[in-house]
Parts: sequence; structure tokens; C-alpha cells
Amino acid sequence: MTDPAQHTRRSPVYRKLVAAGATFREAADGAVAATVPGAPRPLGLADLSVLPRLGYKGPGALAALATVGVPVPEANNTALAMPGGGLVARLADSEALLLGDPTGTGDPLAAYGALHGAGCYAMPRRDSHAWFTLAGDRAADCLAKLCGVDLRPHRFADGAIAQTSLARMNGILIRDDRGGALAYHILADSASAPYLWDCLIDAMAEYDGGPVGLDDLASFASAE
Amino acid sequence: MRLLPPHGSRIDRGTSIAFSFEGRRYTGFDGDTVASALAANDVILLGRSFKYHRPRGILTMTGDDANTFVTIDSTPNLLADVVPIREGMNVMGQHYSGSLIGDNGRWIERIAKFLPVGFYYRALFRPRGIWPLWEKLVRRMAGLGRVSLDAKHGYYDKQYLFADTVVIGGGAAGLSAALAAAERGDETVLVERQPVLGGSLNHARFDAERMRGIDTARSLVAQALVHPKIRVMTDATCTGWFADNYLPILQGNRMFKLRATDVVVATGALEQPAVFRNNDLPGIMFGSAAQRLIRLYGVRPGIRAVVATANEDGYGVALDLLDAGVDVAAIVDISARSGMGPLARAASEKGIEIVSGGALREALPTEGGLSVGAVMVADNAGQDRLIECDLLCLSVGWAPSSALPAHAGAPVLYDDSWHGFTVRETPPGMRVAGAVNGVWDLDAALEDGAGGGDIPATPSPNHHWPIFPHPDGKEFVDFDEDLTIADIRNAVADGFEDIELVKRFSTVGMGPSQGRQTASNAVRLTQEANGGLLADARGSTNRPPAFPETLGALAGRNFHPVRVSAMHERHLEAGASMLIAGAWLRPACYGGAANIEAEVNAVRGNVAMMDVSTLGGLEVRGPDAAEFLNRIYTMSYLKQPVGRSRYVLMCNDLGTIVDDGVACRLADDHFYVTATTGNADGVYREMLFRNVQWRLDVDIGNVTAAYSAVSLAGPKSRQVLERVCDDLDLSAEGFPYMGVREGTVAGIPARLLRVGFVGELGWEIHVPSSMGEALWDALMEAGAEDGIRPFGVEAQRILRLEKGHIIIGQDSDALTHPHEVDMGWALGKRKPYFNGARGIEMQMKQPMTRRLAGFVLPEDTAALPEESHLVLRDGVIAGRITSIVRSPTLGRPIGLAFVPPDMGEPDGRLAIKGPRGRLIEATVVALPFYDPDNKRQAL
Repeated sequence: MTDPAQHTRRSPVYRKLVAAGATFREAADGAVAATVPGAPRPLGLADLSVLPRLGYKGPGALAALATVGVPVPEANNTALAMPGGGLVARLADSEALLLGDPTGTGDPLAAYGALHGAGCYAMPRRDSHAWFTLAGDRAADCLAKLCGVDLRPHRFADGAIAQTSLARMNGILIRDDRGGALAYHILADSASAPYLWDCLIDAMAEYDGGPVGLDDLASFASAE
Repeated sequence: MRLLPPHGSRIDRGTSIAFSFEGRRYTGFDGDTVASALAANDVILLGRSFKYHRPRGILTMTGDDANTFVTIDSTPNLLADVVPIREGMNVMGQHYSGSLIGDNGRWIERIAKFLPVGFYYRALFRPRGIWPLWEKLVRRMAGLGRVSLDAKHGYYDKQYLFADTVVIGGGAAGLSAALAAAERGDETVLVERQPVLGGSLNHARFDAERMRGIDTARSLVAQALVHPKIRVMTDATCTGWFADNYLPILQGNRMFKLRATDVVVATGALEQPAVFRNNDLPGIMFGSAAQRLIRLYGVRPGIRAVVATANEDGYGVALDLLDAGVDVAAIVDISARSGMGPLARAASEKGIEIVSGGALREALPTEGGLSVGAVMVADNAGQDRLIECDLLCLSVGWAPSSALPAHAGAPVLYDDSWHGFTVRETPPGMRVAGAVNGVWDLDAALEDGAGGGDIPATPSPNHHWPIFPHPDGKEFVDFDEDLTIADIRNAVADGFEDIELVKRFSTVGMGPSQGRQTASNAVRLTQEANGGLLADARGSTNRPPAFPETLGALAGRNFHPVRVSAMHERHLEAGASMLIAGAWLRPACYGGAANIEAEVNAVRGNVAMMDVSTLGGLEVRGPDAAEFLNRIYTMSYLKQPVGRSRYVLMCNDLGTIVDDGVACRLADDHFYVTATTGNADGVYREMLFRNVQWRLDVDIGNVTAAYSAVSLAGPKSRQVLERVCDDLDLSAEGFPYMGVREGTVAGIPARLLRVGFVGELGWEIHVPSSMGEALWDALMEAGAEDGIRPFGVEAQRILRLEKGHIIIGQDSDALTHPHEVDMGWALGKRKPYFNGARGIEMQMKQPMTRRLAGFVLPEDTAALPEESHLVLRDGVIAGRITSIVRSPTLGRPIGLAFVPPDMGEPDGRLAIKGPRGRLIEATVVALPFYDPDNKRQAL
């Protein structure tokens, strides 16, 4: 069995998943929890923190991304799927976030990792932010215990982004449904990730939610 | 006594529940409240009044009064008329001394005439200093329930909720409003305080046959419960209105924070008491309370009843009492109504005696004084009549349940023709419907709920003056505070003429029921006493919460974000005790304070490492990066070579020092800047703010959490680092002090800084935070053969003080400019501008008033002074200590202190006022204390 502590790159919450009895597999240059006892669940929280992601900011950031073929969304606070997997999230006129493939396969961002040029600056989002995915029909209800934004599916479209306060932390929420199931990516301060993980697990309890692995997330997609 | 079905719509007779009250065991049914179950057992004395310890029982059966305060298990001040019974619960009455029935405190009423309103403002403060004694006695007499010190923490939380329309109140108008909104397509939330929808439809009598309410409720509730656009919340209380229709809703242990586009307030009306002598005796209750007991809980509220009424509702009450097998001795109609409605006609046809145009003289207690035994009334000819009864139902008027519109700023004013308060204009996004809107007819209420335009006026259900003074008093206006007619009149006579002042002086309406049964009569009496008009008179200001909220509900689940480094678990494994630094947890020391000295010695004599991930990290990039730093920090950066770091000192416009760190030039257009742990976000914010004005071509990124960092320090640090870093020349020449390199450590991409806060050979190694734990592990392994050990913040505080480095915020304050801490060297003299330059210049035009000086104490000083202890000159305060430690390296106590400039010269003497006021003599020395030639950090 893969031991996440044998890898140089480790998630800020890998111990939480070890404690939950997760089975890990290698993904990118780290190890992700593939399955967690208790899954599938009606509501699952997965940790994708070791998977690749990139940030670019600066007045020339969006143009630089477009130049290399990244489908930059037209509007701020919206996200689009990238060819080959992953998402590009437009956070502002001068900032974008690229998320790798949430299944942990391949590295669709490999080609975009070294952009630089006039007014385009890379941000180490893989380290500054933890990356969780919350999936399940009651995901919006669960988040309503931590966040004041109306995230209900009929008010917060697939691909919508909220940059907001989450359990009194700054957080980025991106709706990215898994097949037919409601799902949100959560990106927040990696140094507070263990705290946020505990808050989410606590909030999920009443919906029979709990930690799941990346492979367990697939069950949400196939549940359609 | 229990009634047979169909009475008792809320109880499940198949499930018995046993509980105790005042030590005696009783049983009720599932669905019973404490008060209904006790009433079914013929127990009507629930508690005592707050001031005079008068016996009290059911008044409203809605939780709107404080008569039914009880303590359940460890929780005081719960309302027995709404709290459901639970198997094994232990219920005790409140506000008594000894036993509830025999209350040793009831003597207080005998001296009532010596205790007029405000008596304690005047009587209990003399002689001076006596109040604390009185306070103790008053508190003991009042008996405000007991808080259990063993109570367990409950789990409370909060949840946001969203709606197009929220309807507060699930009665006829509310149900109609919710259905209409939902049919329009609105997402609708329907909030009901009671466990079931229906409101008065469930218990009131709308027709002689009494089926109208039941049938209407059945139909509307069934529609609402299945409507996909309606979310029904029962047992849910909206406690207030806040701007933009933001509503707290308490349900169980959760507070919902609901934001709605539109609010429909359909909260109904509150039945109001008549004011007459002994109107508070157990057995005297509102007509609607008796109906609730009968219809909802299947309880016969008495054996022989008198109904005092001023409206059609009272006749409905009498009919319900008859249906429940109660002997209705008389209906005393205190209104001067001509003509009778259908319910009055039905009551008359049933042969109930109706005393028309009557008045209430007084209620008389049974022997022992614990309940009503008879009522003295006057008939329309003015003849007094004594009617024996054990139940007196009052149906003399209603007040709108107008707290929420009042919170929203809607005027709630007295209407002379309605004989009561009415809600006038509501703000945009809010409307009132049904009884709260003065609509007193079922069809009209349904139409009003649906938003049906002009609703025809209905006759007022309110008596114009249900107040019957008695020569012997005890006609209670306010049951919470035992306030009588005379108390209100006396308050006005004392000069408190406005209702707001009457309230504050007399405490009318200030008790737990917040004036719900008090406001109408208090305003009537106040206006009468000061000769004012009732028309458009207002009540006192109504503020949230409209209903009691527990502190647990307000607190909710605690969200206290805490930041930890990637190595946090390693610190815990190594026995670290953690301290809070800003939002971070940092290791104070490892294995206890006794090890701090060993940690210091390891840095000075061997090798040790410290987690410095919490330092702020800021990327400053772009063509103007150097110019930006040149402006925001005090030193010069334009000519700083790539591959070098330089100290940064930030001042505000006053010239006060606010932060420091180092700027590492990684490229011509790229600086990596560190900031202090507690102020990184402040520095980032300041940088963004300044650059909005300067508009330099520079990007500022806060990468604090993206980097973990380890400070590897000590004479052996180079040999340890060499074991895990093979792509950099680590020699003194190849990587000199203040050099910066990018390379790898244990295969991890790293930024290495040769800096020396602790004054020894050392490196700060900054790596991606996801690899921080791996870096820590690799360095611990690489240093194992040299006996490497981690050191914490406590050891670092000693090490840096030995080296004379200040900690901003500890050795500086909100007025400290650089010259006061001898940092004039850090000010760029040839720059045209930097933040704070002008402020420093202005400060230096004044004579210096203090400077930071180093001092040492004798080696044998036993009890060290502490930070902030005073420095004296001729017995007068001259300065204070900012830092002090016992230095293991120097073998004596060392410290820093702000002192007048002339006292800060080396070899000067300082008198420090130490522990227990003892004077300790210190000697001023030049800084730093350790390695003044800086040879060790440059090894």
C-alpha cells in the first residue's frame, strides 16, 4: 500500500485520511486517498491537495493563458473545462486558477506551468491552497453551515465561482458537478487546511457525509 | 382532568411519559407540554412571581408570558407551557424559598406598600457602600433559577437559508400567504413557532358548530406540506428582523440565518388581560389558553368557569368549555355591545347566563390563596355579585404580535377606534397579514394572506378600557414584575411621563415577556395619568430579540481558524508545547521549559533547527519591483545585487516602526520579502494599498502559506546542510552572509537565505509547503549524527536578545521611531522618499525622549523583573523593560528597556522596580550582548 509520508509532496490533511483508514495510491508526484472505508456515501469530502494546479496573476495573465490555448472564460467568477481534463477558473480580470484533472490521472497542466511575460506572474497555488472536493446532493446545504453565499444548484450554476468566507476563512468555491451529482471544489489556505477539513466533516455528519477517496468520487458521477 | 377525543389533537394517548414536578411523579402523553400534563393532573400552581412571590399558573399556553418559568434538570427559566415533556425529566418551579406551596418568601407581599416602584433606587443606596449587601438579599429573594455549574456543553450551530418569500406564522393568513407566494413561483419558507401548522385554526372557535377552523386548517396545511416550493419549519422561532430581511430563526439547537426578498409577517395577535384585583391567581387565564388546553391537549381546564369577555371570541370560549364538560357559571360581557354574533347567540341558546355590560370587581382566592375561588362582578345595574368558580377566562382584547414590523421600523401606534395598537406602514419588502394586520375575520384573513388588496374592516375585538381599579390594589398590569395600576400612576407622578421613561423607572414591559401582555394597558394608564391622548400613542421601543435566545444559539458552532505549518505534527511528536502567534500555532519549546536552555546551547555550540514557516512571504515582481521596495521600506534596494538579501524596515506615515524582515533579490525584477509572523497580512495589505496610489508596474503576491521554512543554525549547520545539498557552494566565500541562492535540499527545490536572527552561522531554507514536512524529516536525519535538535520560540527569544535584535511590537510600541531603537542605520539617507521618512524627520526635530538600552543584572538575581516592569529615577517612573531573559550564554540576566536618552549610556545604572516592588540595580551595556563583532554568523 502506498504510504503518503514516503513522498516528498504531502497533503496538509493526509494524516486525517490515514486516521480514517484510507487506502492511498500514487497520483502526480504524491499520494492521494483512493478509497476510504464507509464510501460510497450520500455526501463525500475528498482531498485533492497533492494534485497539480497553477495560478497566474497580473494584467497580462489572461492574455498569456489565451495565447497558449487555455480557454479562458469570458466572465469573472466562472470556470470552464480544459481540453484534456481540468478546469480553468477566472477569478478576476487579472487572475486565473488552473486545476488539474480531479481524477488524478495525467497532467493536463504540464504545458502551462512556465508562462511568463509582460504582466503575467505565476502563483504557487498548489502550495498556498489546499484542494478539497465536496460531492453529493446535500453539498449546498452542508456548505450553508459554513458559508453565507447562496450555493443552491438552481442559484449557483455549474461552473460558477464564489470567492468568499468559509468557516471564517478565505476560500474559493467552484461548482463542478460530477456526472449528474452536485460537487464543489474548495480551495483555501493550506496552513488552515486541517481546521477546514474538520469543520467540513463536522458539517457533513447530519447528511451522513464523511471523507471519501478520489476513486470513491467516481461513484457520484456514475450515480446519475 | 383528561378529555376524550377529538379533544387533544396534539397528544398521542398511546405513549405515556413520566416526569417529576417538585419531587412528585406525574405522567402525561407524548405531545404534552409540562403545563398541559400538570393541568391534566389538576396541578395548576407552576411557580411564583418574581417580586412578591405570588402564586402563578397558566396564562397564555403559548410561551408568551413568564408565569410558567420552571427549571428543568439543569436549565432554568424554561417555559412550562411550551416545553414538551420528556421521560424522566425533573421539573421544579421557580421564585420561591422552601417549597413552592408553602414559600417562605411570600411575606414580602405584606410589605408591598413599602416597596413602590423605584424604591431601591432611593432606599438601598444609603449609607454609602450598603448596596452590595442589599443586592445579595434582593437576588436571593428573587430566585432567578439556578444555573448548574456541572452543565455540559451543548452542540449548537448555524446555517444560512435563502428564500424569495418567508412567511412568519403558520396560521390562516400565513398559510394563505405561503401558498399564494409558492403558486407565484417563489421559493417560500413558512416559519411556525408551534409544533404544527394552523395557528388559531387548531383551537379557536370560528362558528357555532366549531368545524370551520378544523376544516380550513386541514385543507391549507395539507396543501402547504406537499407544495414543492414551500419549506415548512415548525418549532421554529423568528426572533428578530435585521436590515435587508435578514432573519434569525431558532429551531432546536440551530440558528438559521435567513435572507429573504420578501417577508410576510403573519404572526397573529396576543390576547390581552383585564386589569383587576387579584387578576394573576392560578385559574385565571386567557380564553385562548383554555381553548388550547381543551383542543390541543385534551385537558379540562376547570370545573366551574366564568368567562369575562368583550368580544365574540369569549362566547366561543364558553361554548368550548361547555363541550369539554365545564360548568359555565356565567359569561360577563364587559363591553357595551349591541347585537350579538353567531357565537353569542349560540351561547345564549345553550342557556348560559350572560351578564351584559358587567364589570370586574376582583377575583377572590381559595383558602390558602393558591388559586381563584370566586369572582366578584358588577352587573349592568351596578350590583355586585359573587360567582364561585375555579376557572376565570379572559377574552377582552388582543394586541398585534408586531415585534418584527417594529424591528423593521414600522410605526406601531394606538388606534382610538380600534382600541388598541395597529401596525401602520411596513417598509418595502415586508407586509403584515391577518390578525397582526387587524384583520379579525377568517375569510378576510385568508384573503389578506394571499395579498388580496383592500380588506373590509372588521369590528374591533378590543375593550376600550379593560382596567378596573380597586381600593385595595393588587390589580396587576405587568405579571413579570408584579406592577399594579398604582405603580404606573406613581411613575408618572414622579415625573416619568413618557412611556419610555415609565418603562425604565417602573420596569413595566422589561421582564421576560417583554411587554407582550403589558404594553396596551401600560400605555392606557400612562396617557391617562399624564392627561395625554391615546390616539397615535406609541409603546416603548421594540428591539430584537422578540423571543428569548440562548447564548448557545447565539454562539453557534465556534469557528476559530488556526494556521499550522506543514511540520506541525512533527512538533507534537517531538513533545512541543505550542503557543499562539497571530493566527498560527508555533512550538514554544520541546519537552518542557526545562529544555529551553539546552535548545539555546545547541544553537550556540552545535546545530539546531527551527520551524520559521510562519514568517510572512511576499513575492514582489515586475520592472518596478526595486523601486517599490525602495519606497515602502526604509533602506535602499535599487542597487541590491541579485543573490543578496537586505534587511527591510517598514514605518507608517508617523514614522512608527511597523514591521521588518529581509528582501531577497532573486532576479532584477523579482524580490522575495519576508514579514513578521503576526503582521504578514498587514504588510501585504499595506503594499496593495500603496501601489494603488503609486501605480508602479509591480505585482505583489502573498505566498506565506505556500512556503515552509526551516532555520538551520549553529556552528555545525554547514556540515549538516552539505549532507543534503549538493548543488550549491555552501562555503563562506561561495555563499556569504546575507547571500541568497536557489537550489535543492534533499531533492526539494529551495530558496536558501544566509541570515542570522540568532547570531550564529545558519540558513533559512524556504521550500514549497507541501514539501515542508519532508524537508524537516531530511534535516533531522542529516543532523542526527551531530545531535541536531529542534528549538522553539522561547529559545529563539533568548538567542535574538543575546544578539540585541528587537522584536517589533514587543521592543517597540505604537510611537517608536527608528532612532529610538538605534536603527538610524536602516534609514536610506539618499532616497527621495520612503514611507514614514517625513514622520521620522518631524520626530527628530523634537528632543529625543527615550531610547532602547541594553542592561544586565547581577548573576545572582533571584527573582527577575518582568516585561513592563518600571525603570525609576529618583523614585519617579522613567522607563520600562521591554524584554528580559536569563541568558544561558552570558550566564546572567539581560534585557532591553526604554529609558531617557541620558540614562542609556553604557555603564549607567538603572533602578528597576522588580517583583513585590523590590528595587533592583541594573547596569547599562552596549548592544549586542553577544558576539559584538558579528563573527559567528559570518563563519
